[in-house]
Amino acid sequence: MTAAARIIINEIKGYHNFLKLMIALVGLGVLASAVRFVLGLGVTTNLNDVYPWGLWISFDVVTAVPLAAGAFTLGAIVHCFHIKKLEPLVRPAIVTGFLGYSLVSVGLLLDLGQPQRAWHTMVYWNVHSPMFEVSMCIMAYTTVLFLEFLSPVCEKFGYHLPLRVLRWLEMPLVIGAASISTLHQSSLGTFFLIAVDKLHALWYNPLLPLLFWMSAIFTGISIIILEATMVHRFMGQPDESELLEVLTKILPWVLGVYLVVKLAATTLLSHGPLFDRPSLLALFLAEIIIGVIAPMFMFMKREYREDQRMQLRGATLVIAGLVLNRFNVSMFGMEQPDQLIYYPSIIESLVTIGIIAAHILFFVLVAKYFPIFEHHPETVDYSIPDHARRIEPDGGSHGKKSETVA
Amino acid sequence: MSSSTANFDKTKAFLIDTTKCTGCRGCQVACKQWNQLKAEDTKFFSGEGYQNPPLMSEYTFTRVKFKDYQKNGQNEFAFYKEMCMHCNEPACASVCPVGAFKKTAEGPVIYDAKRCIGCRFCMIACPFGVPKYEWSKAFPLVRKCTGCYSRVKEGLQPACATACPTAISYGSRAEMLKEAGKRLKNRPERYYNAIYGKDEAGGTSILYLTQQPLDELGFKPVTKRSLPSYTWQALRLVPGIFLTVGGGLSLVSWFNHRKERIKREQDQLNGAAAPENKEVDR
Repeated sequence: MTAAARIIINEIKGYHNFLKLMIALVGLGVLASAVRFVLGLGVTTNLNDVYPWGLWISFDVVTAVPLAAGAFTLGAIVHCFHIKKLEPLVRPAIVTGFLGYSLVSVGLLLDLGQPQRAWHTMVYWNVHSPMFEVSMCIMAYTTVLFLEFLSPVCEKFGYHLPLRVLRWLEMPLVIGAASISTLHQSSLGTFFLIAVDKLHALWYNPLLPLLFWMSAIFTGISIIILEATMVHRFMGQPDESELLEVLTKILPWVLGVYLVVKLAATTLLSHGPLFDRPSLLALFLAEIIIGVIAPMFMFMKREYREDQRMQLRGATLVIAGLVLNRFNVSMFGMEQPDQLIYYPSIIESLVTIGIIAAHILFFVLVAKYFPIFEHHPETVDYSIPDHARRIEPDGGSHGKKSETVA
Repeated sequence: MSSSTANFDKTKAFLIDTTKCTGCRGCQVACKQWNQLKAEDTKFFSGEGYQNPPLMSEYTFTRVKFKDYQKNGQNEFAFYKEMCMHCNEPACASVCPVGAFKKTAEGPVIYDAKRCIGCRFCMIACPFGVPKYEWSKAFPLVRKCTGCYSRVKEGLQPACATACPTAISYGSRAEMLKEAGKRLKNRPERYYNAIYGKDEAGGTSILYLTQQPLDELGFKPVTKRSLPSYTWQALRLVPGIFLTVGGGLSLVSWFNHRKERIKREQDQLNGAAAPENKEVDR
């Protein structure tokens, strides 16, 4: 055993048991995906010609993309609308987004029948395909998030010249992130516009792309609340509930507009009977009441907005409602009355659990080894000096203002 | 993608007169032979009726569905040949991210297996449930009726149309529509008054005449609008939305940054005496 491997193993031995469990789950997911590639989609999944899209599309792609929307929402709020006191929340959001999108790409590759040809989307263009649009955007946006994620990496290793370039790129990246996200978050809704005679009228309406985009915004905000609260509870980071209060002020507005558009679209624009399937109607009501109406009323109250526990509960409701909504659109609402019901196989579930575990694991590890939380941009001077050398020649810790340049 | 004003009269089309179908399934066998498709095990009563195999699959591009019904106290059979409808504006071609599906000038909708990445969006999009997947393989592809494009482009008729003794006519779409209209007009007592495929999904290259009402025979009710138009009405906004959001946010952030710079400069002017007060604003 080499020395490096021993260092890594020793490091892992020091981890909390929860992280070890996550590592085990990721390992299981990797094994399951290996089995999928050896034995094939047909044997290892419960997909068939009636249900060509299952758990991997419904969760790993259609649900995970809005769940990773925190980065673009917060980036726009902080940098474009200039609510600068939220800056400490940006980096964790970017890490979550970058991990989320990378894992969406992994999920997509697993689900493709010919993953080795994924690059075809870049060569053979079909601009009429929402799938083309989404895959191009996801590639572009993962690149943007990667560039944004490079900042803490460069800080960690003290690469200051790239840092300046990244600093200079910051605004274009933030604006690019928001516009690309708008496109692909909404295009995930466009996917289902083609399923005219398949998706139930409770969800099928021409405003589906707009609804998907708006729900991505309030989900992005809720994810940031959930994440900051969890990080405070379990990773010993400072309590950010005062900052989160700003976000909870935005939430009821977005939820309210969403609710109005959604109800208007459902009642005025859908074609087909709305109340013919009681089980679907129940799912629809659950999604609206749990995910939209309840948190909207919660966050309209000042004492709930300020209370950290209520913040967490409201955000969790929004996220649960979003997950239910995406499953309703991509899975439950697509089921025809006389068909067998699809449920995911063990391999499919293990892969999805592995992807969720990987997200948590990588987030904790990134937070452990890179300056994600202790980032104070105002204290670092990024102006170009006379000659390109380190801003902090004394190798001082991050967040300390350098004496020499200032 | 062809616009809705495009003329499909000259594309080749099938006219399938189910009242003339004897249920011999010669088309099913001819299709298997021409496309070199494996046979499937016969399982009786595995589907909703007497047909075999129970569903179209990666090995079966076309099959005859059986429907029994009662007429004047007599038991009767109706037959319905199921196959790719070769839509004028196919949903599969419109949603495929790599353009693996193509509507040919001759009429058939063909599939380029070399391009396919296996996303199965075509299967979600097709209103007739036609594209099937090679679920048996580790790296599967889509399989579907090709309209015997290899034959049609050489001037031959598709294998099933050649094999059919009674029910299938093959020719230009305009001719087939005219012929179908003539039959409906001449023998109204024989036919249910509709041509399935004339307007379904914006018009298809397969036209059906039936005796029974369409839904009783298991024909899916399908929108009359061409399917690509449903997604295109959202997708065509993409460049505009990109520019609006990007431009709007650029403007907003430029404005906000400017506001702050002015504020900072003013603070500097006012607070020059006490410089350590304001340094956090970057």
